Amino acid sequence: MWSVLARRLGVAAAVALALAVSAAAATQPTIKFTDTTLKNGLRVVISEDHIAPVLSVVVLYNVGSRDERAGRTGFAHLFEHMMFKGSEKVGAGEHFYSVFSNGGTMNGTTNKERTLYYEEVPSNQLDMALFLEADRMRSLAINKENLDNQRQAVQEERRLRLDNQPYGRTYEAVDELAFENPAYKHSVIGSMTDLDAASVDDVASFFKTYYAPNNATIAIVGDVNSALALERIHQYFDTIAAQPAPPAVDAVEPAQTAERRQTLEDPLARLPRLDIGYHIPSSLSTDDDAIDLLTDVLASGRSSRLYEVLVRQKQLALGVSAFAESSRGPRLLRIIVSVPPAKTVADVEAGLYAELERLKAGPIADWEIEKSRNGVRRQFVGALGSSLSRASLLGELTLLYGNPGKINTLYDRVGKLNGADVLRVAKQYLAPENRVVVMTTPKPATASKGDR
Amino acid sequence: MATRRRMAAPLAAAAIVAGLSSLAAQPPQAQDAPSTKGVVRKHHVPISSDLVKISLPRPAEADLSNGLHLIVLEDRRLPQISFQLFIPGAGGYYDPDDKPGLAGITAALIREGTASRTSSEISQQLEVMAASLAIGAGAASTEAAITGSCLTDQATKLIDLAADVLLHPAFPDAELARYTQRTRATVAQQRTNPSFLAAEMFSRAVYGRHPAAHVGPTVDALDRVTRDDLVAFHRAHYLPDHAVLAIAGDVSMAQARFVVEQKLSPWKKQGAAPGAVSDPAPIAGAKILFVARPGSVQTNLIVGTQAIAHDSPDYDVLQVMNKIIGGGPTGRLFIHLREEKGYTYGASSALNAPLYRGEWQAATSVRTDVTEPALRDLLGEIATLRDEPVSDEDLADAKRSMTA
Repeated sequence: MWSVLARRLGVAAAVALALAVSAAAATQPTIKFTDTTLKNGLRVVISEDHIAPVLSVVVLYNVGSRDERAGRTGFAHLFEHMMFKGSEKVGAGEHFYSVFSNGGTMNGTTNKERTLYYEEVPSNQLDMALFLEADRMRSLAINKENLDNQRQAVQEERRLRLDNQPYGRTYEAVDELAFENPAYKHSVIGSMTDLDAASVDDVASFFKTYYAPNNATIAIVGDVNSALALERIHQYFDTIAAQPAPPAVDAVEPAQTAERRQTLEDPLARLPRLDIGYHIPSSLSTDDDAIDLLTDVLASGRSSRLYEVLVRQKQLALGVSAFAESSRGPRLLRIIVSVPPAKTVADVEAGLYAELERLKAGPIADWEIEKSRNGVRRQFVGALGSSLSRASLLGELTLLYGNPGKINTLYDRVGKLNGADVLRVAKQYLAPENRVVVMTTPKPATASKGDR
Repeated sequence: MATRRRMAAPLAAAAIVAGLSSLAAQPPQAQDAPSTKGVVRKHHVPISSDLVKISLPRPAEADLSNGLHLIVLEDRRLPQISFQLFIPGAGGYYDPDDKPGLAGITAALIREGTASRTSSEISQQLEVMAASLAIGAGAASTEAAITGSCLTDQATKLIDLAADVLLHPAFPDAELARYTQRTRATVAQQRTNPSFLAAEMFSRAVYGRHPAAHVGPTVDALDRVTRDDLVAFHRAHYLPDHAVLAIAGDVSMAQARFVVEQKLSPWKKQGAAPGAVSDPAPIAGAKILFVARPGSVQTNLIVGTQAIAHDSPDYDVLQVMNKIIGGGPTGRLFIHLREEKGYTYGASSALNAPLYRGEWQAATSVRTDVTEPALRDLLGEIATLRDEPVSDEDLADAKRSMTA
């Protein structure tokens, strides 16, 4: 969970500001924070960090693609775009204009679990950030012009990220093959057809249900006074009314009993690629940390099992990666192998399974565990050093676990894990009947008319 | 793949326009796409007009006897260090004509084995200490760079490893063979990437035969590079004479100097002159180039021209100009092409002002059926910037966003 969060937040490289702690001494840095819930249900976490005159405000809404119904896929993400098109006291685009022209950065991201917005600004602009967030939580401007305009931007985003990229479809195909639960089966970006079908009424009711203060968490980290910041939060957010709780999401996935396979042809790909997913339990499971260590042993860096054997020794792969995204529902430990021109996909697949079996036969070396622990700690320390990644971390922990205090338990949890724990989860989850396999092969482009 | 054709070619995935003078004269035209006003300012947002003051710490500096310039920024708040070593003259700018990519290949192979460590041992040692060490030489850059970082208690070990890699690379034949095989496939994969294809053509159009047009190794060069080439490039170009080492973090100048002088003692001054650079030949005139990529659903557009070197008196004004037209989401290109027209997910511009005359470019990816209006609008924004004075408010906002 931890290392994955840090990775997803893109903080591994935030070294320069990191609040480091010696890996050898392995003393957990303690993060102080306040945790308050307003009368309207808005949960507020504040952590002071006076290392530089900046602060970050992160607002998380407990809504992601898992909350979308059939025929409206892509809606949570489309909605994220609407949040920048203005509200009662903020003009269209004035949000980003205000932030960027005053030395700040901002953005929004959507995944299966949540939608996250942030402002990272000079420390004298707390009011600006809170005003912008509160005004759109209270009074988003929902109209057809904004919807059509952002629908197009999202469709271009889909083309850019998926349709016009090699292996773009593969990314979606893995989840579609693996999951029966509709909440987790479809991609965050959704289908073009569904995006076209979204109406202004859909947007309005989505806003009312999910963008309520009782469905949100706000985290502030940086050069602020906690009491003063909380006072400002009251000033801007207290008058926003709570709404009935959104419908609960069914996160149950029936157990898979036999391997599932699919072959895809991709006209934009030049090389075959092998995508494998093993069903694993949700991030809330007690196996979560051990699964993270397992992905490190498999594919973190060049000393990892799969890189050393598949890429270096046997040259069965050009590259290999393994990861497990956070989720409160069903999820996959995914392995991606790109296949060199001279090899067959079948040989590569057999080589990969041989390595997984060798791993399961044990033992895991002490240095492999030490490496993973040190890596997790260093990423964590890196995340603490940036106000934005610390705020995101506190916000995500609050949203996923209901417990920002989990930020202070990492060293303890990871320090207790050993090779036997990694072996146990490897044996339990890396089983043939528990996997889905998607093979992507290049499709020769169809002859073009008079081109070239 | 690349072919010159007339406009209105739906299969074109990348259009590159070099030289702005004549094309930029066309006015923007109205479009059918759904349109909203890009930015509407209601002026209710509470914004502090103060600039937050920060005082930057002064680093200590020293010139070592081998020519290396050492800079140390002591910062005891954090138990870790990071460093960057710049070696001018060792970048892809200085590739031999017949072996494009040699500098990059040399940099990539430096850490693949030394006289006393194998490639796998180096990877494992770094990963177990959770340290990072990277060596790179950009395809068109004038220097190579070695960067590293780690927790303080690993620092001596890391600097020892970095010095070994810098001074005693073994360039094992087997590692070179692995690298070329892998990279050959990567080069093939690169050619599926529309942004790469557009950038490659753009560089060629703007820089011609100048080294700034380098984008990486060719398959042919990969096949011909030998271990001797790497050894020779390393010996001739990895010199301390004009190198700069900057260290920041949990270390003093005295400590850093002691460790560096000890670990780098075999790195001797060679009396080499600094690497020479020259300006590219001017662009002959405006032109439009196409790269066909059948199956594309988007067109990558790059529009630009040669601009200035880093020491030009116009540097600051061009940076502000770039901010106004294409510097991120407040830039006119983003607001017009994305927020108003919905043609694209993003549009921006950038000024590249290196030691020689660099370039300015604006880039965007749009769906193929709006290629022509998007290009016309993009050129229209350039024309507006040339022909109409920037308002006081826009100018003040651009400057503030850069200073705040």
